[in-house]
Amino acid sequence: MSISERIENLLMSVQKPVRYMGGEFNAVMKDPNAVDVRYAFLFPDTYEVGMSHLGMKILYHAINARDDAWCERVFSPWVDMADLMRRDGIPLFSLESRTPIREFDLLGITLQYEMSFTNILEALDLAGIPLRREDRSEGPFVICGGPCAFNPEPLAPFVDLVALGDGEEETQQTIDLYRKWKAAGLPRDEYLRMAAQIPGIYVPSLYDVTYNADGTVASVVPKPGSGAPKVVRRALVKDLDSAVYPERLIVPYGEIVHNRIMLEIFRGCTRGCRFCQAGMIYRPIRERSIERLMRMADSLVASTGYDEISLMSLSSGDYSCLPELAHRMVERFAARRVRISLPSQRIDTVLTDTLKETQKVKKTALTLAPEAGTQRLRDVINKGVTEADLIRSVTDAFEQGWSAVKLYFMLGLPTETDEDVLGIADLAEKVRKCYFSVPRERRAPGLRITVSASVFVPKNDTPFQWAPQLDYETVVHRQQLLKQALSRVKGVDFKYHAPDLSYIEAVFARGDRRLGEALERAWRMGCRFDGWSDQFRYDLWLKAFEESGLDPDFYALRPRPTDEVFPWDHLDCGVTKDYMLREWERALREECTPDCRRGCTGCGMKRYPGACESR
Amino acid sequence: MRALIRFGKQPRLRFISHLDLQRFFQRAVNRTGLPIAFTQGFNPHPVMSFSSALALGWTSEYEVIDIKLSAPMGRKRTEDAVRSALPEDLPVLETRMVDDRHPAPMALVRMSDYIVRLGGEDASAIVAQIPAFLDREIVNAVKKTKSGEKEINARPLVLSMEPLDAASFKTRLMLTESQSIKPELLVGLLSDMAAVEAPQIRVHRLSLSGLDADGNPAPLMTL
Repeated sequence: MSISERIENLLMSVQKPVRYMGGEFNAVMKDPNAVDVRYAFLFPDTYEVGMSHLGMKILYHAINARDDAWCERVFSPWVDMADLMRRDGIPLFSLESRTPIREFDLLGITLQYEMSFTNILEALDLAGIPLRREDRSEGPFVICGGPCAFNPEPLAPFVDLVALGDGEEETQQTIDLYRKWKAAGLPRDEYLRMAAQIPGIYVPSLYDVTYNADGTVASVVPKPGSGAPKVVRRALVKDLDSAVYPERLIVPYGEIVHNRIMLEIFRGCTRGCRFCQAGMIYRPIRERSIERLMRMADSLVASTGYDEISLMSLSSGDYSCLPELAHRMVERFAARRVRISLPSQRIDTVLTDTLKETQKVKKTALTLAPEAGTQRLRDVINKGVTEADLIRSVTDAFEQGWSAVKLYFMLGLPTETDEDVLGIADLAEKVRKCYFSVPRERRAPGLRITVSASVFVPKNDTPFQWAPQLDYETVVHRQQLLKQALSRVKGVDFKYHAPDLSYIEAVFARGDRRLGEALERAWRMGCRFDGWSDQFRYDLWLKAFEESGLDPDFYALRPRPTDEVFPWDHLDCGVTKDYMLREWERALREECTPDCRRGCTGCGMKRYPGACESR
Repeated sequence: MRALIRFGKQPRLRFISHLDLQRFFQRAVNRTGLPIAFTQGFNPHPVMSFSSALALGWTSEYEVIDIKLSAPMGRKRTEDAVRSALPEDLPVLETRMVDDRHPAPMALVRMSDYIVRLGGEDASAIVAQIPAFLDREIVNAVKKTKSGEKEINARPLVLSMEPLDAASFKTRLMLTESQSIKPELLVGLLSDMAAVEAPQIRVHRLSLSGLDADGNPAPLMTL
């Protein structure tokens, strides 16, 4: 029986068989005999999550634009399917051609969040690929990229290459190099040595790590004679207008998380929120021109049939000509019944005009992220917004017919006190009052305020990389404090989660190479889909750390001295450690740093010639 | 003006649910570039309907979608536009342009033809029961409906049935709102007669039919 038939036989017995079906409109099919390089792109989560991810779409189409390569997709099979595949001996397969992953040349894996790391081991195992790099003598080279690639050390034993930064160009270079390597008939290790010369490519196996007696890292240096650079600096695409962007997007059959056209209007954010890794590792701001965006939107609407375009970026309200862009989009597409939406709305942007434009087509909940409840703490995290900004934004929104507001906060930010937490409830109460200050005949009925409080995870490559995570008991205490305070504000829905998942996330965000051992143990004990609260097994994780002789508190809860060598110091995200340290010190002094568009703050991006000049 | 499009559903896409297929077509018609008529109201959507829902896991060569156009359009151009908006596993097989007064195909459907393939070792024993089934006047069955279970006589709902080989048969079954029987239930009854467990089956729809002016069965697209 063919692998395809064997897969078919399982699909009747699993949840959501469309996840494994393939055959979507705009999926790329090629003749396997007509290409030199088979590239499998793994998103280590479910189909619905992975298919909502923009980066994968960009790289899928960028690779498939080449005649000599075929990129196919693969997602983590849900636990029911994974178990049946193991039972029947069906290896992990690609969606397009149902080819076993171990037969591919390159396996690209995107690291979007730390809690997907066990899914990577699960995928390798299901594919029949040995987990550890040194055990692999054939099969695809494993290449990781994405935001978590800036500290890939816990994954170091399992991966061949790590691609830092924008993937549009460096991915092509890894493919070009693969062709060269294959044509030359060189040994496997030679591909790694050659890849280490590509800008932005880090090869963990070419580096030696030494540790101090206290367990901290002493040094990470290239192995003698390896030719690998001392520091690997992230790849940067300077001009997004000329960068490749898909003209066609795969249109899934089932419902996925974000089922719409995603139009990336710019990349990067320079507001400098000190907790935010994306705000550091995607610098500088690179905008696409309105003309380019209109052309992209035209072809995507025609090729997908979607009725919604989402203007994506880290902070879409910051697009320099947002009112003009929104206006032109609405004008061009309203007659075709295509809605325009703006995610991740910030509260300090001049919303009014844009809101008017978008509401012409559809009204969704206004989502704002004050992050902290008091001005003092917002200054610490450099969230350069005031209460007055928030009040103005929500009042505008209520006056224009919005009635649902979602407010996002974090608990456990550095220097946080009970008072800061109670400030969140005050803010919710003020938002409520804003609604009732709008005359009844002008406001939409049915006020809904949702307050979401996540647990702060200090991330590598942010000014808060020196900060300890707040301990479990104090987090729980502050969650309860906030819950009680919010119970006195009518009409508020409070959402929060147990801190255990954020704790494991914090361990891995700033973890070192030794954690690979704990990761493998946790997976062997059955951990997978850790980001899904119904699958997450805190007890198994703690056991895995214990058996590996590692103390998770050491990674998550320890205040780190400013002269400590970090496990990721040899990976340069573009923003310098000096800058982040200055920002950490300013945070502790409660000093704000303005957006660099109002004057260079010396973050280090100027080291890329011309990078900061395009805006 | 309306376009009646007959299309197939190939094995690869047999797990798209009817609801997902409806959503899929809402986007697909947007891709055609045809002048599609939209519903009025707050949340407009294309005016279209399906002749009959295909169960999850089945394949077909006779699915009919009825799409309303807001301006006249030639048959060939319509067919080409729809074909270009569908993946190859949903092939366009036939197109017919009708005017707005033409009855909805859904209302014309009376019966459907299927090929049923049986899995497992008891397949031939089950297929062997076909003549005995057809000889009976009454075959009692319990049909699950939305409101619960219902006792029915299954025999008159099976218009024809003939073995194709040891593990498959072809059958024509009633398919109206009040009178219908699914292949699963039919195979269940044959299995009972053979005193074996009902096996896994694969169902392929060959056609949908209604009645012509003389009251004779005729394929839906010709009515």
